Amino acid sequence: MAIAGIDRKRGEVTLHLPSTDAATPWLAMRRAGDRADPIGPLGRPLAIEPRTHHLLLIAEGLSVPPLGPLTEAAIATGRRVALLLGARSAAEVYPSSLLPDELEYVVATQDGSLGHRGSVVDLVPAYEAWADQAVASGGPALLERVAHLARGRDARLGVACLGRRTARRGRRTGRVTRRSWLSVVLEQRVGCALGVCLGCVVPGASGPVRVCREGPAFRADELAWEESA
Amino acid sequence: MTLAGDARTLTDISVDLAPQRPGRLLVRTPFLAAAGCLGYGVEGEGQVPLDRFGAIVTRGVTLAPRSGSPPPRMAEVPSGLLHAIGLPGPGIEAVLERYAPRWLAWSVPVILSLCAAEAVDFGSLAQRADGVPGVAALELDLASPDLARGGRPLSLDPTLAADATAAARAATELPILVKLSPAATDLRALARALVEAGADALTCTGAMPALAMDPRGGGPLLGSAAAALSGPALRPISLRVVSEVRRAVSEPIVGCGGVSGLPDALEYLAAGADAVAIGTAALADPALPARLGDELAAHGPVARPGVTDRRRQPRTPHAARPR
Repeated sequence: MAIAGIDRKRGEVTLHLPSTDAATPWLAMRRAGDRADPIGPLGRPLAIEPRTHHLLLIAEGLSVPPLGPLTEAAIATGRRVALLLGARSAAEVYPSSLLPDELEYVVATQDGSLGHRGSVVDLVPAYEAWADQAVASGGPALLERVAHLARGRDARLGVACLGRRTARRGRRTGRVTRRSWLSVVLEQRVGCALGVCLGCVVPGASGPVRVCREGPAFRADELAWEESA
Repeated sequence: MTLAGDARTLTDISVDLAPQRPGRLLVRTPFLAAAGCLGYGVEGEGQVPLDRFGAIVTRGVTLAPRSGSPPPRMAEVPSGLLHAIGLPGPGIEAVLERYAPRWLAWSVPVILSLCAAEAVDFGSLAQRADGVPGVAALELDLASPDLARGGRPLSLDPTLAADATAAARAATELPILVKLSPAATDLRALARALVEAGADALTCTGAMPALAMDPRGGGPLLGSAAAALSGPALRPISLRVVSEVRRAVSEPIVGCGGVSGLPDALEYLAAGADAVAIGTAALADPALPARLGDELAAHGPVARPGVTDRRRQPRTPHAARPR
């Protein structure tokens, strides 16, 4: 389940729900005027670095919706956005009619029925140098491979110091915090979503992190990749 | 908090969960937050109306720091939640140092949940908690499969369970609740042994040891084999435990398992429980224990055929039975 769009003017939030889930069909059957009592927003959202001009999005299957609000915000502020999508076949490709026209949309399918035949990860190197920020959304296998590519990019191109260096704090502690090129959105079942039950933790670079509280958006260097995939 | 005008029409729903130690664990409402579901309580401070809870049972506390189970730690199963959190925490010393001063400032009693693999360790844990201001009572978690050898919670063995209770009892005068596993079998003997060893009240029950597999052949769904089932699926099982234990002992019983509304809670009270702890449902609605208190007060006296009466009557047969 993901927030696929936010219309602040109309006070509307668009949710995308998988109908395979046990509880979400109930939510999907609500109609205008029905009342619900949600808690939120919770956790840390994706954010566009202020110096980003070219934003690269990498997603697979049904993991596009979490990138919706970020895409809209990036386009509204005049940034160029490319979305690389991987799917098993053309039938599972996210419909372009639900995406903004300004978006560059590139598709890879496992069976070659649409776009590039193979993995979406094959498409990433062509955009590596163009993009000054990347966001990946999908299963652990995809995120692991993209995170590996991102580490290679950092080694080749150097970490482009995007966004605010926390310069003031850096001076005081004697170190500059560098933002990593890649952010990821984790898909994880959460229990309480308030950071209490510790049901959704994943291994972080310095100890376990809660997807509901420290996430679900993480900078790639905040997570311990070897163990989590 | 109710309006003064309403207060007169509301039933007094307070319960003494340790009648042997009068006033030590008098809870304002019979609705408790079950262990683990509200962390150490401090996480919800300011957002959850803790002062309208009967009591808060903390996350399970161990002697040494633990990092918990590898993820994934939770899975949704039919009518329930499968969890294998693995008791992550900084250990009892750090927990008491960090949180007890804040508990002391609250009007709601805080019950410290203790977890250990060996019976004697419950003595060490109780000793550390003894006399710490802010700790109102202890709950010995003899139901959790996390630390149990071979996944056998301590309460499956009445002798070990009684040893653990006696060890804690020897170390403290605090009220002691003992949490039973729903997988325990000889319930009446177990309940009697626990009370004899010094338990003031019994919590029935913890989560049921359980398993979920990946149907695509990926092995167990959760990262640890010490998984257990909570939620509505647990309710009929725990209810039977309450009913059995009520036949054996007259000490207070805290029903726990799958309560998500007043009718569920009334089932527990009817089966012989004196209070009810809310677990899984509080994950979705942390204010539920407070709301249930309001609802029960408005509901009025609860019919508990053969339960309350039996306990308050003299032991002579037929003596106080209304004609």
